Amino acid sequence: MKFLFVVSCLLNAHILMSQEETSPIQVNISPKISAKDAITIDNLKFYLTNFSLVKSGETVWKETNSYHLIDISKPSSLSFNLATKIDFDEIHFSLGTDSLTNISGAMGGDLDPTKGMYWAWNSGYINFKLEGKSKSTSLEFHLGGYAPPYQTVQKIKLKTTKNDLTIFLNVSEFLNQIDLTKQHKIMSPGKEAQRLSKILSTLFYVNE
Amino acid sequence: MLMSKNNIIAFLSIFAFFGLAMYFPFTTPVKINYPKSWPKPVYDFNKNPLTQEGIDLGRKLFYDPILSKDSSISCSNCHLSYTAFTHVDHALSHGVNDSIGTRNSPSLMNLAWHTSFMWDGAVNHLDVQALAPISHPAEMAEDINNVIKKLQNSTSYSGMFYNAFKDSSITGEHLLKAISQFELTLISSNSKYDSVMQKTSSFTPQEENGYKLYKKNCASCHIEPFFTNNQFENNGLFIDSLLNDYGRYGITKNPNDSLKFKVPTLRNIEFSYPYMHDGRFNNLSEVFKHYTKGINKSKTLSTHLKTPIVLSSNEKVDLTAFLLTLTDKNYLFNKNYGFPRALFFSENE
Repeated sequence: MKFLFVVSCLLNAHILMSQEETSPIQVNISPKISAKDAITIDNLKFYLTNFSLVKSGETVWKETNSYHLIDISKPSSLSFNLATKIDFDEIHFSLGTDSLTNISGAMGGDLDPTKGMYWAWNSGYINFKLEGKSKSTSLEFHLGGYAPPYQTVQKIKLKTTKNDLTIFLNVSEFLNQIDLTKQHKIMSPGKEAQRLSKILSTLFYVNE
Repeated sequence: MLMSKNNIIAFLSIFAFFGLAMYFPFTTPVKINYPKSWPKPVYDFNKNPLTQEGIDLGRKLFYDPILSKDSSISCSNCHLSYTAFTHVDHALSHGVNDSIGTRNSPSLMNLAWHTSFMWDGAVNHLDVQALAPISHPAEMAEDINNVIKKLQNSTSYSGMFYNAFKDSSITGEHLLKAISQFELTLISSNSKYDSVMQKTSSFTPQEENGYKLYKKNCASCHIEPFFTNNQFENNGLFIDSLLNDYGRYGITKNPNDSLKFKVPTLRNIEFSYPYMHDGRFNNLSEVFKHYTKGINKSKTLSTHLKTPIVLSSNEKVDLTAFLLTLTDKNYLFNKNYGFPRALFFSENE
């Protein structure tokens, strides 16, 4: 039996997914910009990598070549299989790509530089990309960077015993924690990219 | 019976052979040649093994303006084989719609030993270097995905990608690796300097004296045998107030990197003018004038330039004589590096 891991993004209120893949996802979030200011998310993509399963503190399974580009507009990217039956109590993974991946040249599959997740003029992967707009402003968060001191890759450890589990990312809470009137565009590695990546790392959870 | 048993077997074997060849295209492995005294390449050839098919494909891509938005600019527009793959006589790079960039196009040679690319080290691996000029609005101004669409519509390219990588669908990974393969073959190791080092030739007394002067004044940054230390240094240039280019600082955001640029190689310096990251000096005498009299003593000035360099006019002549021994005609006029006519036009055209 295979375990199915579904990665989904919980957005506070409700997600109105249209039938067509290309249409933007409508999200209502608790307003930080102005009251009832709806935010449209056009693009939400991020890397989840280095999946492993842990039992009583010991790694019992590790995915090889573990790179998953999660793209909210591509339902097929939102669920994937990991190991066959293994007893575990924690799942570990990273948000983003590690530094070795970032200096290894052209790679294929989900890491192909045609996926829109690679910076041409400052080599490295964009680990998390969120683009959208509100009535008053456009949002562009391209979070990445592997070089010290501004590494952005985040290790995430979640306790669970479920074989068929859903990992949630609370994107609304992410947007709530940022003052969007001041910060709505990050396009390069640095302190801010690192700070926001750390916030994101706290917003993953599994439903028990 | 028209066919004997043997004929049938022969026929079937040929059929099987071509059948297999269709499934497993033969690739011809290629090894790069370089002097035994050189260190091992930095580039990991295991991740992108050179084949003649891959090199040919990369060479065609290098010379094909299909990489640019309006099919007007190829890599070779700014990197000409006969001038050490730089844009001779042009201070700043050119791009689509007559746009002008902010930096001098660097020469391309011995790239397997480079640890970073671009004047500010913005690119960390040869494979991903091509992404930068392809996407830059003042260079090729094209989207990599659109390049791939155009290549997919070309039957000759899908055949070449299949032959090189068993990939007729064409991925970004293979597009970039093919360009790397061609670039990795651009090796300059046959200058007079190299033959002197291999003891098959000797310097004239003037060149010999120039070599000593080089060792005393230049060798701390332009280290043998590549004539670069692959590091970033502030060589005392005053900032150009129009370009406002702070070099490495733009990448690291570290004030200690302000005004630092990658140390370029001195190999084939005879052909790689104009000099410096913005091509501000047209000839070697302007370069010598800068190093002896023009140093801007700013905070991040290279420690190697804190004591002024002194060169008499005779010494400048000798140093020039030495620098000219770094000219490598095997590299400059190598027929394997030029425009691959046969790859663009079929025989009957």
